[in-house]
This record gives sequence, C-alpha cells and structure tokens, in this order.
Amino acid sequence: MDKIKVEVCCGTACYLLGAANLMSLEDMLPENCRGRVEVEAKTCLELCEKENLGGAPYVRFNDTEIMAQATPEKVLARISELVEGVA
Amino acid sequence: MADDLFIEMEAAQYTKTGQGACGDDVRFMTVEKENRHLVALSDGLGSGVKANVLATMTTSMAIKFLESNVPMLEAVEIIMDSLPICEVRKIGYATFSLFDFRLGGKARISEMGNPGYIHLRGTEEIAPLKDEQIASSHWPDREVRECEADFRAGDRIIMCSDGVTQSGLGVRKDMKFGWRRSGVLKFAQEKIAADPDISARDLSAAIAREALFLTPGGCKDDISCVVCYLRRPRVMRVLTGPPFYKDHDADYARKATLGFDHVVICGGTTANIMERELGVKVKVKLSDMKSSGGLPPVGTMEGVGIATEGILTLGRVLSALEQMRPPEREPAAARAILERMMRHDRIEFVIGTKVNESHQDPNIPQDLELRRSVVKRMCAALEKNYRKKVTVDYY
Repeated sequence: MDKIKVEVCCGTACYLLGAANLMSLEDMLPENCRGRVEVEAKTCLELCEKENLGGAPYVRFNDTEIMAQATPEKVLARISELVEGVA
Repeated sequence: MADDLFIEMEAAQYTKTGQGACGDDVRFMTVEKENRHLVALSDGLGSGVKANVLATMTTSMAIKFLESNVPMLEAVEIIMDSLPICEVRKIGYATFSLFDFRLGGKARISEMGNPGYIHLRGTEEIAPLKDEQIASSHWPDREVRECEADFRAGDRIIMCSDGVTQSGLGVRKDMKFGWRRSGVLKFAQEKIAADPDISARDLSAAIAREALFLTPGGCKDDISCVVCYLRRPRVMRVLTGPPFYKDHDADYARKATLGFDHVVICGGTTANIMERELGVKVKVKLSDMKSSGGLPPVGTMEGVGIATEGILTLGRVLSALEQMRPPEREPAAARAILERMMRHDRIEFVIGTKVNESHQDPNIPQDLELRRSVVKRMCAALEKNYRKKVTVDYY
C-alpha cells in the first residue's frame, strides 16, 4: 500500500503562522498510522501568495489536497481519516 | 596578481582559568586604500583585567602607529611611557608582535618580548630577509626585533603569546621548558602536511587548543595564537529572493553553480526556482526538521548547495554576525550559513528583489525586515567584524 504523503510548508509565512508546531508531526502520529505516512518538509509550497485558499500555514496531502490554517490536531485527524480509508 | 590574493588573518584565544578577562589582546586592521593589512598581538603583564588593560592599550596604540607609519622605536617608547605602572611590580609592561603587510610587497614583523614569529611556506620554515635588534635609549632593557619577510602566496605567519610556547611547563615531565617555539613549529608543520590548505582560522584554533591540552587542569596563562595566510580567496555565494522579472530566473539559477560547499540558497521561493531551473530537488531530513532550533530546517540540493528559509534565517545570521556570536550555538540553518561564511574569504550575495507579498500579512506575529536592508547590514558586519570581502548583485 502506498504511503500517505504529507508535505509541510516551511516558508516564512507558514512557519511564523504555525508550521513551527508541525515540525514534530512524525512523533505525534497515533500507533495505527506509524509506517503508513511519509512526512516531508518543503521549502515553500507557494500557496500563501494565492488568494482564497484559506491562509497559512499550509499542508499538502498526496500532492493534491491542500489544508489551510493547519494545526497538529487538524493534520493528525486528516491523516487518521486517510489511513482508515475515509475520503 | 596581487588583486587575486586574499590574506586570511585569524586568532584563537583562551583565557587563564579563573580570570574574567583575557590578558592578551589581538587587533586587526585593513587599510583599504593602501591594500595593507595589520595585526597587533599583545600580552599584558600579569593576568585578568589589569593585564587586559595593558594589552588593549598596547594593541590600540601600536596598530594606530603602524597605520600612520610612525618609526617602530618611537612608537614603542610612546607606548612604554603611556602604560600604567603596576603597583606590585613597579613597572608597566606589555609584550607585542606586530604584522604589517601590503599586498604585492614584503611583510614587516616587529616583536618585543613575545615568542619569535614562525614563517612557513608549505611545511618549510622561511628565514627573514632582514632581522635587526633595536634598543631604546629611553628604556635600555627593552629591545625591539624588526624583521622583513618575503611573504608570498601560500605562505603563513604564526604569532603567539607565551601562554602557547610555555604550555605544559611544570606539568609535563617530557616538556621541561614547556611546548616552546620549536614544539609549535613542529605541530604547525604536521597540521599543514596533513591538510596543505588548512585555513588560518583552523590552524590558529588547532594550535591554541593543543596548548590548552598540554596543560591539564586548566589554562595556566592566557593563550593567544594568530595565523596570517596569504592565498587565493575562497568564494561562496548566497542567493536569496526571486528575481524581479521572471524571465531572469534561468540566469539567476546559473549563479548557483559554484560547487556544493560554496552555495547557500535562502528562501522557499528561491529554492523552488533552483529546483525548476537546475532540476535538483531540495531534501530535508526528518531529523533536521525536529531539531531545527527555532528556525525552519535546513535542506540540501545535491551538487548545488544548502537551502534554508529566507528572511527569518538571514535575520538570525545577521544578529550573530553583528554580535560576533559563535556559530555553534545558533539554530541549525543559521549555523550552517555562518559556518560556511567563516570558511570563505569572499562572499558574493545575489539578491532577487521581488517582494514577497505574503510577508505583508498583518497576521504575521513579528516584523520582517526587508531582504535588501538585512543583506546590507550583513555585508557591513562581515567586512568590519570578520574582514571578509563582500559583493552584492541584484536581479
């Protein structure tokens, strides 16, 4: 089974608006998600300069799905849903 | 030819254990318009604050006299007449070593009371072209040694305080008279044989560290070692910010092809331009993500250089440069940039001038300085505090 790819934007705006709290995301993963998720830091996803995406910090799942105003809680909840196969 | 050369001048010091201030002082000066480079090293009588005052007065005056081409003997007499007299010893005294070099010319070394300087070409010791002792009529017990040296590209000159040559004295049975000048010479030759390109920074640090190591149980005297190394400059490039015109991206990215150890890319958008133009991905190790110490993590672009976040990281680097904080204590990304800066002689900034609109977001909880002003202050600190050559190009 392919791993779920989670990209955390580490650009200036994202980092200052909360991505700093996502740096230890890997350690926060619940037991059932370990080994199923690949967390990556990206230098900048270049989403902050686009309007109407909801605001930094941004996290991207599986190259397509964007989460705005990401917090560890929101990201972990979404990872759990993806692991459990909920769309 | 002389324009292609750079003189790296560095010092390493340890303070006598138990003292709050170092009794040795080292001062550097570059006289740009004369392409001239000066160093003064002084060891003040005694230790602690009193010695520090004597040494600092001596280096400050000596370097000014050197700059103004005051004859050495006259300078020494003025310095001696000015130093405060020690209540205990009834004398005012500080030894010194002075180095005066004009690119394309000869080096002049003047010494009083300090261990004799060492001149190395590779591992071979080079004798001075001229070597004279000058006595003062004023201070008959003080003699100044004046030397002229044929200082060529690839040569090194090492100057120490007696805390280096006397390390190990009275502690080690195999060093009855301490490490001595001969021991320092042999150690430096071995270091250069093992690493022919060893920088002045690394060699001075290695000599000072060895002197400390030879004296177990703490530093018995202030230790100072200065190394001057004449060589072709080591160039690094810092690329930061996207170019104002997008069609300049390719040109801009080509500036990053200088070799992995010599390139730093600062900024997420800048890194993305490099990824696109050079076809190399930025990789961030997960462990680096967790231990980034309050700044976004540092990544690597294989064959290109390191990639960091932009303005927060540069701001941190700036404050370390301005306050001369050692790189080891900085967060990973700032440390990586600072260490590279310390290893290079000429630092070329290539700045994209496009403003990142997302940084103007009022929700961002701190002031973000403009890239250009941060780089401008960084250049000033690199030149003034670290004697680096700096250039800035805008895109």
